[in-house]
Amino acid sequence: MPQLNRRHFLQTAIAAAGAATFPANAQPTAKYTRYNVTSSGGQKALASYAKAIEVMLKLPADHPQNWFRNAFTHLMDCPHGNWWFYVWHRGFLGYFEQTVRNLSADPTFAIPYWDWTTLPQIPDSMFNGVLTPTDKAFEPYTGNLAVFTSFIQPALTSYWSTLSPAQLAQLTARGYTSIDKLWNDVTGLDPQSGNGISGNMAYANPCGARYLSRNNPKLDDKTAYNVSPFVVYSGLLPTDFYNAQNNLSFNSSKTTSHNAQPGGADSFSVLEGLAHNKVHNYIGGVGPVDPGPYGNMTNFLSPVDPIFFLHHANMDRLWDIWTRKQKALNLPWLPSGADLQALSSEPFLFYVNGDGKYVGASKAGDYLTTEKFDYAYEPGFGEKVVESATPTTTTRAMPPTRGIVKGNAATVAVSADAIRSHLASELGASLSAQVTLPRPASTSSAREFDVIVGAPSDVTQVSADSPYYAGTIAFFGKMMNMAGMSQDATFAVPLPKKPEAFHMLAAQANASVNIRVVPSHSHGEKAPTLKAVTVRAR
Amino acid sequence: MRAALAALAFFTQLAHADASRIVTLALPHALRTGDTAWLEVKVGIIARGEEIEIATAAGRFLGVISPHGIHSGHEAGTYTIPLPADAIADDHISLRISLDRSGHAQRAPTTEEVKSLRVTIVDAAR
Repeated sequence: MPQLNRRHFLQTAIAAAGAATFPANAQPTAKYTRYNVTSSGGQKALASYAKAIEVMLKLPADHPQNWFRNAFTHLMDCPHGNWWFYVWHRGFLGYFEQTVRNLSADPTFAIPYWDWTTLPQIPDSMFNGVLTPTDKAFEPYTGNLAVFTSFIQPALTSYWSTLSPAQLAQLTARGYTSIDKLWNDVTGLDPQSGNGISGNMAYANPCGARYLSRNNPKLDDKTAYNVSPFVVYSGLLPTDFYNAQNNLSFNSSKTTSHNAQPGGADSFSVLEGLAHNKVHNYIGGVGPVDPGPYGNMTNFLSPVDPIFFLHHANMDRLWDIWTRKQKALNLPWLPSGADLQALSSEPFLFYVNGDGKYVGASKAGDYLTTEKFDYAYEPGFGEKVVESATPTTTTRAMPPTRGIVKGNAATVAVSADAIRSHLASELGASLSAQVTLPRPASTSSAREFDVIVGAPSDVTQVSADSPYYAGTIAFFGKMMNMAGMSQDATFAVPLPKKPEAFHMLAAQANASVNIRVVPSHSHGEKAPTLKAVTVRAR
Repeated sequence: MRAALAALAFFTQLAHADASRIVTLALPHALRTGDTAWLEVKVGIIARGEEIEIATAAGRFLGVISPHGIHSGHEAGTYTIPLPADAIADDHISLRISLDRSGHAQRAPTTEEVKSLRVTIVDAAR
C-alpha cells in the first residue's frame, strides 16, 4: 500500500513537527558526554583513560578489572557477524566506562570516540604512554608468550572453575569446551595439526602489538575507503534493524546465539563487515604484514589495545545515529514481536561492572538504548543522516528562494544544479518547500491540502504515487481561533524526487518550479490562497 | 513504500586473468533516480591475512573484505559492498576481483574462495 504509507508518513511528520517541543532528531540530554577524541573534552577524557589503564595493568591477574582480564571478557563472549554485535559491545563499553570512571577518580569520564571518517589515522595522542600497547608498561605482562602465560593463565583457569553451567554452555557454543581450547586461540595452536599458526595467535609481543605507529599513523587507502563517507552513509541507509536481505539490514545475521562464531552462514552488515573489520585488521597489520603474528586489534583479544574502545565508541555512535534517524523518520528502530523477544532475551553473562563485580545474568534488552549508561555523543560524522541533509554541498549553498504567489500557486526559480543534486541525492529529499497558508476557518470542512509540484494545469487532484505529489498538509484538531494564535501556518514539505515534477529543468541555470496547494479531498472545497512559498535546500 | 527489489544478477565470467577475476554483472533492472545498487560477495575459506579486493574492471577501488575473527578453516561469510551509481554503465557493472596477501602477488581468487557474486538494487522508497 505505497500510497497510504507515504501519505501517512508525511501527515504524521507534519503533525509531529507542529506539536513537538523538541525536534525528533535531537540528541537526548544525558549525564555523560562521549566526546570526539580530537576535541578538548576528548583530550581531557584521554588523560583519565590513561590513568585508569595504568591502574588496571597493575591489578593482579585474578582481579576482574585487570586490563588483560577485561580483554578476555571480549574473547570469551563477544558476538561478531550477528545482530547482537552492537548491543553486546554497548554493554561491554558501558561497564568499562564505569570502571575507568572509578579507577581514574574522574566522575565525568566517558569514552571518547575516534571518528575515522573525518580522521583516517590513529589520533596522535593514542601513541602516548599506556595508550599504546607497545608501551614499556605492558612488557612485564606481555614481554613474551611465556611471561603472558605465567601471568594470566592460572588466574583464568581459576576463573573457569567458578563459571556457571549457563556460562559454560555459552562457551561451548563458541567452541571453548575447556580452558585449553580457549588458550589455543591465545597461542595460535592448531590442535589438529599440532602446529602453531602465527597469524592465529591472539597474544602479541609489545613491539608488534600495533602495526601503526606515530610515524606511520594513517589508514591506507583501502581502509580509508571502507570508512569513507560513501560507505558509512550506505551503512546508515537501511531502514530495518534486521532484514534477511543484507542490503536492507542495519545489523548482521540473525543467529540462534550471540556466541555463534562468525562464518560462512553469516551476512555482515556494511558497517560491521567493511568499516569495523578493516579498521581492526589494518591497525594490527593485516595487509602489510604476512604471515603474522599480528597486532592485538586483529583478533578477539583486541581490547588489549586501548584504541579498541575509541573504535567501538565510534561504532556505537553510528548505531545511535541510525536509531535517531529512524525515530526522526517515524520508522521502527528495533524489531518487533517474536524477533524483539528473541533479540532482547539473549543472556549476556560475563560483564564486569565499575565496582569490579560480576554483573551476572543480564540480557541484551538491558542495553538496547543508551539510558542504562546515561550518555550521549558529541556530534560527529553522519549527523546529516538524522537531519535528512544531503552530503553534497551544491544544494546546501543555495540560498532560500521565495516564489511569486498567485492564488493557490507559486512559481519559484531554483537553480538547475540544485534540482539535479536533489534528484540524485541518496539521502532523501534535499530540497523542500516552506508553504505558508491561512488556517482554515472553524466553519470550513477542508483540513487537508495536497502540495503538488510541476503538475499540468488541468491536474487538480493527485494520488500519493503521482510524480507530482509532495505531501499533504494536515491541520490537526479543531480550528479554534485562540488568542495569540497566528492566523497563518507554515509547513515544510520535501519536494518529490521525480523528474516529472521538474519538467522545466533544461540547460539554463535556473528552472521555474511550479508549486500548487489543492484540497486533498474532492468535496467541493476551495483551494487556499497562499501567503508565501519558499524553496530551500536542507 | 516498503517494496524493495533484490534480484539475482546474470553472472558472466569474461576472463580469468592471473592477477584478478574479471566479471560482468547485469543489474536486475535499470537504476532509477534514488535507487541504490549493492554487491553481495560470498567468501569461502581464505587464509588468515588474506583479503578480497573489489574494483571496477577499469581499476576504480570499491572496497576490501578483510575477515575479522574467523577461525581458521571456516568460511568467511557474506559481505555487502555499496556500488556507486556512476560505476554502472548500461545496466551492467564490470568488476575486478582479487585476492591480496602481503608479500605475495595479487591473484584471482578461486571459485571456492569467492563463491558467488550478485548485484541487488534497493529502490528509492527504502
